[in-house]
Amino acid sequence: MRAPFRIIFEQRSETPKYLAAFVPLVSVLAALIAGGLFLMATGYSVSETYGNMLSDGFLSSSGITDTLGLSTVLICTGLCAAFAFQMNLYNIGGEGQLYLGMLGGAWAGLALGPHLPSIIAVPTVLLIGAGFGAAWIFVPAFVRSRLGTSEIVSTLLLTYIAASVLNHFVYTPNSYFRAPDVSFPMGRAVSDSAQLSAIGDTRMYPTFFLIVALALFLFWVVKRTEFGYRIQVISDSPRAAHYAGINARRTTMQVMLISGALSGLGGATLIVGEFGKLDQGVLLLGYGYAGIVIAALARNNFAAIIVSGILFSGLRVGGDKLQITTDTPIHIGVMLQGAILLFALGGEAFRRYKIRAVRMQAVAQ
Amino acid sequence: MTNTSHEVVKGPHHSGDAAPIALSAHSITKRFPGVLANDSVDFDVRAGEVHTLLGENGAGKSTLAAMLCGLYQPDSGYLLRNGQQIALSSPRAGLQHGIAMVHQHFRLVERFTVAENVVLGSRDLSFTLNRKTIDEKVAAVAESYGLPIDPQAIVGELSVGQRQRVEIVKALYQGAEILLLDEPTAVLVPAEVEKLFENVHAMTAAGKSIVFISHKLGEVVEISDRVTVLRGGRVTGHVSGRGSTDTKELARLMVGRDINLSTQRASHATGHEVLQIRELSLASEGVDILSNISFNVHEGEMVGIAGVAGNGQRELADTIAGLISPTAGTISIGGAMTTDRGPIAARELGLAYVPEDRLGMGLVPSMSILDNLLLTRDRHIVVDRASVRPEANRLIEQFEIKANDADHVARKLSGGNAQKVLLARELSGGRAATKLLVVCSPTRGLDVGAIETVRRLLDDARSAGQAILLISEDLDEIMSLADRILVLYRGAIVHETSGEAAQLATVGAAMAGLKTEGAA
Repeated sequence: MRAPFRIIFEQRSETPKYLAAFVPLVSVLAALIAGGLFLMATGYSVSETYGNMLSDGFLSSSGITDTLGLSTVLICTGLCAAFAFQMNLYNIGGEGQLYLGMLGGAWAGLALGPHLPSIIAVPTVLLIGAGFGAAWIFVPAFVRSRLGTSEIVSTLLLTYIAASVLNHFVYTPNSYFRAPDVSFPMGRAVSDSAQLSAIGDTRMYPTFFLIVALALFLFWVVKRTEFGYRIQVISDSPRAAHYAGINARRTTMQVMLISGALSGLGGATLIVGEFGKLDQGVLLLGYGYAGIVIAALARNNFAAIIVSGILFSGLRVGGDKLQITTDTPIHIGVMLQGAILLFALGGEAFRRYKIRAVRMQAVAQ
Repeated sequence: MTNTSHEVVKGPHHSGDAAPIALSAHSITKRFPGVLANDSVDFDVRAGEVHTLLGENGAGKSTLAAMLCGLYQPDSGYLLRNGQQIALSSPRAGLQHGIAMVHQHFRLVERFTVAENVVLGSRDLSFTLNRKTIDEKVAAVAESYGLPIDPQAIVGELSVGQRQRVEIVKALYQGAEILLLDEPTAVLVPAEVEKLFENVHAMTAAGKSIVFISHKLGEVVEISDRVTVLRGGRVTGHVSGRGSTDTKELARLMVGRDINLSTQRASHATGHEVLQIRELSLASEGVDILSNISFNVHEGEMVGIAGVAGNGQRELADTIAGLISPTAGTISIGGAMTTDRGPIAARELGLAYVPEDRLGMGLVPSMSILDNLLLTRDRHIVVDRASVRPEANRLIEQFEIKANDADHVARKLSGGNAQKVLLARELSGGRAATKLLVVCSPTRGLDVGAIETVRRLLDDARSAGQAILLISEDLDEIMSLADRILVLYRGAIVHETSGEAAQLATVGAAMAGLKTEGAA
């Protein structure tokens, strides 16, 4: 009698170091393979499509600078998601906080910009954008920290309201934010002093370097400061935090506000950067939602978010260009993002479990 | 396969070598990640006997029991039931072979009646329950083994000892011939333990086999026909004959060396009052948890709080530590009021607190020893780990903590070493030099070697003049360590005695609310 095999999941006592980098890489590869199968099934050339994406997203000089340019906002929303996730706070409303950041940035650019020199106007726009993002998460943060109300629901629902707010200011005739003398509803350009110029011939703005520096700074904050220590204690064992006299409510509040501010900052980089005005086009781009995937792929590691943000940005840039240069639908890029998230989450199982096939009931005779 | 509950075990010849072997395990090996939990273990139990599995925590006794009842499957080795090889894929399969486990943590539905709990999971129930028939059947099973129980009582209203009896009746009702009792006395007061042992004798007299799992030497000697000692997943000894074994020998088999658990009670005079509690009361959601408690603890004195779990001990400790604000009354440490001032204020006055829950409350499991040392200390805005590291290394050495280095993650420490880290941090002071140590169940779940160390550390702290409040469910521990014993029952102090004068029976009765078991 042959004993049948069965698959067992065996919990790892320790996750090997190499898996930390290996799993996200495999997730991306697996997503590419899944996407490739889809391309084949629908009659497109896999090698040609991926080749184009690779060259348009990463290898060509315009491709890589476009990618780094777009990654600026994506790293912001990735940081936003990760900053909350690391303390088991699920702020999935980064999208809405981004809209508010854009609104705040546009207001600062329109109202204060004309009176300020560029060196002050640009930081002002960024700070006010971040402040608006934080303000938008204030109510979810408050009710979460005081009453334990689920931030998942509240932040998500506020995103729909944020979209309406943004539309309101762009569409309403005579709105402060709307471009006058144009029949088509569009935002009014902020003053020149509040806008940065792109680097050379590219679509990349100096804010990219600022945001990369910010990501590294946050990495340091979490690893080395008392604030980061507190976050770690609370996320691991709230009861230990209570025991040690750590104020979890206040820290929850702080973490959520910073999270919102990071998305708001992302919105403001669009004002000082490529948009230069309040633009309803942002509602279709899903930068805030992409941040969730970026954070998940980087496993909430702030330094790794720089890499996953750039990777995602490249997929989008490459995917968008496919539509222009070939007849491949733009959605392949979006589909790959979704697939990466699924595989990255599924890959967690491999980090935590060893998967083995064993024979049933080995019997000594 | 049909069940084997109809199998008849004959008559009064239930003890001695004449009785057939009911269940045996042969060269059982079970491996968990990083641990060889059982290493070719052989074990057998005869009809009508009590065979004890004795070992420290982590010796592999619970793992073996889990394989005997079908909860785990062995990696290699096999089981024989009445000489026939069996494979148990689940506890239900175990039950079909007449093997049942009574877990340490009961698996009862509190809102159901006793009878409902007992029949829960039975397969022979009709769609509509005939309560009367069920009640009668359950009562009949219970009585036939001398386990008096009211089938209509709501389980949530029963005492711990009575709930355990429900679990045992449930196993018997389901046709168990072999009962595995996992640390059954851990939750009981002395009178209840006595009652349990009577029940065990009634069951063995009826031909049932009992596998008794324990690490308490005294009771093992009292109840067992045979003892198998496990250490590090291996059998280190077999002892047979009730009462003929001396506990020293068993302890040596269990630990691998000689053990001395007796400590010197403080003989020196005690000093000033360090902790003063006045008319302390705590209510939560309309329920009184602590009522009108007053006592003091002096320098160099160890006061023990005895009581069955859930009588307010945890809340008392948390209140003293400033984690909970009392409804009424005052607490002062070293003459300064700490009531309502929070944990950090209490620590600044010299409080140290070792909570019952080591990993998850006292220690952060994912953090290193070094970071855990920082938990109750003053941390600067930028955490300066480099300056704490020498102290961490010194404490690891001084407290004999088995760890690679100060970066060893708390989760990966054994229970004893985790407790040593906690004690090292709390005894070495943080925000202020430690004057008052509140320590809850300091040795629970630890192996004998670690118990010895922890008790010595507490003793040393007392000799050094620290005031110690020892809160423990382990009455033996309190009796052997404390200078003064207070008994907490339903949130009130119902009994006070000096350590020397304490009588096990009196303290035990006070713990049970001055009522004798069975009268409830």
